[in-house]
Amino acid sequence: MDKVLTDAGMKKSFGKALLYTLPMLLITFMFISGGRPDFSNPATSLAMMITFLLVNVLYFMMHYSGKTDQYRAILFIIFAISLSFTLISNMIATRNSMSFSQADILECKIPFCHLVIPMMILPAAFTQSIIFPGSIIGGFASIAPMIVLWLVATLVLGRGFCSWGCFYGGWDDGFSRVRKKRTITRINEIWKWMPFAVLILVSLTAALTLLPTYCSWICPFKAVTEFEKVTSVESAAKAGVFVSLFAGFVVVLPVMTRKRTQCSFLCPLGAVNTLSNKVTPFTVKIDKTACNECFKCVQACPLFAISRDNIRKGEVSVFCSKCGKCVDTCPNNAIHYGIKGVPAGTMKYFSRNLFLFVSFLFIAVFSAGSIINSLNSFLKLFF
Amino acid sequence: MTESLILGLSSGSACLATCGMVMFPYLMAGSAGVKRIATDLSLFLFTRLLVYTILATVSWFFGQAVFGNSVVRNVVPGILYIVFAVMLVWYAISNNRIRECPAKIVTTVNNKKLVPVFLGVVNSIGFCPALLIILTNGATQGSLVQSYLSFLAFFIGSSVWFLPLPLAGKIRKKEVLKTIGILATGLAGIIFMIKGITNLIGGLIYG
Amino acid sequence: MKKVKIIAGVTWALAGMILIIILFPFLNSFSSSVAKLPFMKINANYSGGAAASEIIAEGCTIVVRKPVFDGLIGERKNGFVQVDWRGNVAEKMSDSIDYDLDGAPDFLVQVDRSSIKTLLVPLNPMVTDLKTSTQTSYGWAVRVGIKK
Repeated sequence: MDKVLTDAGMKKSFGKALLYTLPMLLITFMFISGGRPDFSNPATSLAMMITFLLVNVLYFMMHYSGKTDQYRAILFIIFAISLSFTLISNMIATRNSMSFSQADILECKIPFCHLVIPMMILPAAFTQSIIFPGSIIGGFASIAPMIVLWLVATLVLGRGFCSWGCFYGGWDDGFSRVRKKRTITRINEIWKWMPFAVLILVSLTAALTLLPTYCSWICPFKAVTEFEKVTSVESAAKAGVFVSLFAGFVVVLPVMTRKRTQCSFLCPLGAVNTLSNKVTPFTVKIDKTACNECFKCVQACPLFAISRDNIRKGEVSVFCSKCGKCVDTCPNNAIHYGIKGVPAGTMKYFSRNLFLFVSFLFIAVFSAGSIINSLNSFLKLFF
Repeated sequence: MTESLILGLSSGSACLATCGMVMFPYLMAGSAGVKRIATDLSLFLFTRLLVYTILATVSWFFGQAVFGNSVVRNVVPGILYIVFAVMLVWYAISNNRIRECPAKIVTTVNNKKLVPVFLGVVNSIGFCPALLIILTNGATQGSLVQSYLSFLAFFIGSSVWFLPLPLAGKIRKKEVLKTIGILATGLAGIIFMIKGITNLIGGLIYG
Repeated sequence: MKKVKIIAGVTWALAGMILIIILFPFLNSFSSSVAKLPFMKINANYSGGAAASEIIAEGCTIVVRKPVFDGLIGERKNGFVQVDWRGNVAEKMSDSIDYDLDGAPDFLVQVDRSSIKTLLVPLNPMVTDLKTSTQTSYGWAVRVGIKK
């Protein structure tokens, strides 16, 4: 049984927070350095140290302050920006352009991204092959490791992958925090079902055409990674779609609504991850005895995962990505991380500590590579 | 064939939701069980297939006479895709989706056993923009067999949506599925809009 | 019953924690296992198909791959055949290619690498158009559209 919460909520003392950070310090040191830190290159060494400190300071602050979302978001946003930076600088260094070439497609050198996964399933079942010009194993962002990473993360975290793993989510998460107040306050919740419609359409069209249609025609993040060279009406139309969708769903709408509109209204992987929320052991629970129905959590949630009905039922919906925003917003600490099978309002500390450890470890190690690469490129200007 | 299948899948959802409101009560008439509804549905679908076969034949012969010019072959489908797209998007965003379904005319049929047949005829020529596109597709095929295959793919795509009808009463979360179907239709409209504009511009520039 | 649910839930959560901890150190091992699954190969529409024949000419090897007509179910009526020039590739290439191995050339490809111009001359009515012609890390590759 949990102790009665004081006004401090989930806060810990300095010493206790440091103690909780210790395992993360050790594991991230092992995983980031590979167990054998190499200090021969000053820029790389400094980049690794900064990354190591960054992730562990953020984790420490989560425990010390009792808040989750703002520290998670810092790492999440840095991850998204650093990955785009790494990809773009690599492309410009090797090809002098952000567009991928026909040779890259023919030689199957296109980096694989987890957004392709929903479109691969039907073709893989029928043709026993992967409809993507990438490498199965070996090389940067090859298919097998990306599938493993996504599969394990989504089985453990469910839709938590969308807030603790996806290297694109940081974009609209970041833009959703630009303004303090929403310009658009009323959004029809019917739109939260749109990713399922997108999922059905891209899965079917990908299966029928053997082309990853979301990547080929829709993905807004093509605007900040790589895209097909504009050489025809069709490729010009595609470029127009990518840029428009990025501008609309990733920048403008999140700024105006303070919601993650790309993730909520477009992403087909989000729809798949929503289904996997059924198998994850972690969840977010609402302690009805502590809740005073102020509905601040409903406004705060960036993914439309809480409604007034959910509050009355005492649980968030399957759209929850466990970002922690509602948990941090609730003035009565009525919302908390939980474990399935454990009643709401009980084992709050244990559930939070365990969830934070698992989810933060994943994002810390997953993001470390691209953050180190970006810092390395930046620091090389000085060394 | 792939394109025809996608066309059928896109138009079928809107068609079902529009005409389904009229057809379903007739299919359910007399508190018929799943088996009886399935029989009526089979008759309905068979009639649709028959009508599409006739249309495939007519469109191919028509196409041989008219679609010789390559600009026409690109521009006409381009325009039709745009019209079809507008209809799909309009259907998706409209508040009143139970439109004047041509199948409503079924109230005038006296012999109730002929209702599925009558519905099959009316439904297969009812949803105009998609039908115009598939007629154009059929007209531009290289052979009559390819025209039949094109219509067959369209028939399969559009019929998929009718298959769960006998079990509709047993499906939970119908509202969620209906919402997803409506959104998918609107999205398909946007995709066809882009395809139509691309076809049109490509046809006008490259001929 | 309540206690059983709690124990089951916590056990499940702890199992998840262990899975995440071992994920990264064993990523290569897990990936290798996944890579061995039967569907883990690149579709021929992207990989270009398996090599069918090789012609060694003037220091470079011309690899003619098997025609690709792969569809979702069965084969499509339109496909392509990929031809690779590997090794010491000349500035200007002009080669007749027999992709169906019937002894008769099916098309002629002339590539001028300096101006990146490619000319396709079909010698078989099944050959339709030039899909791609590009420099690669191993030399040059061309994909030619064909019909069944």
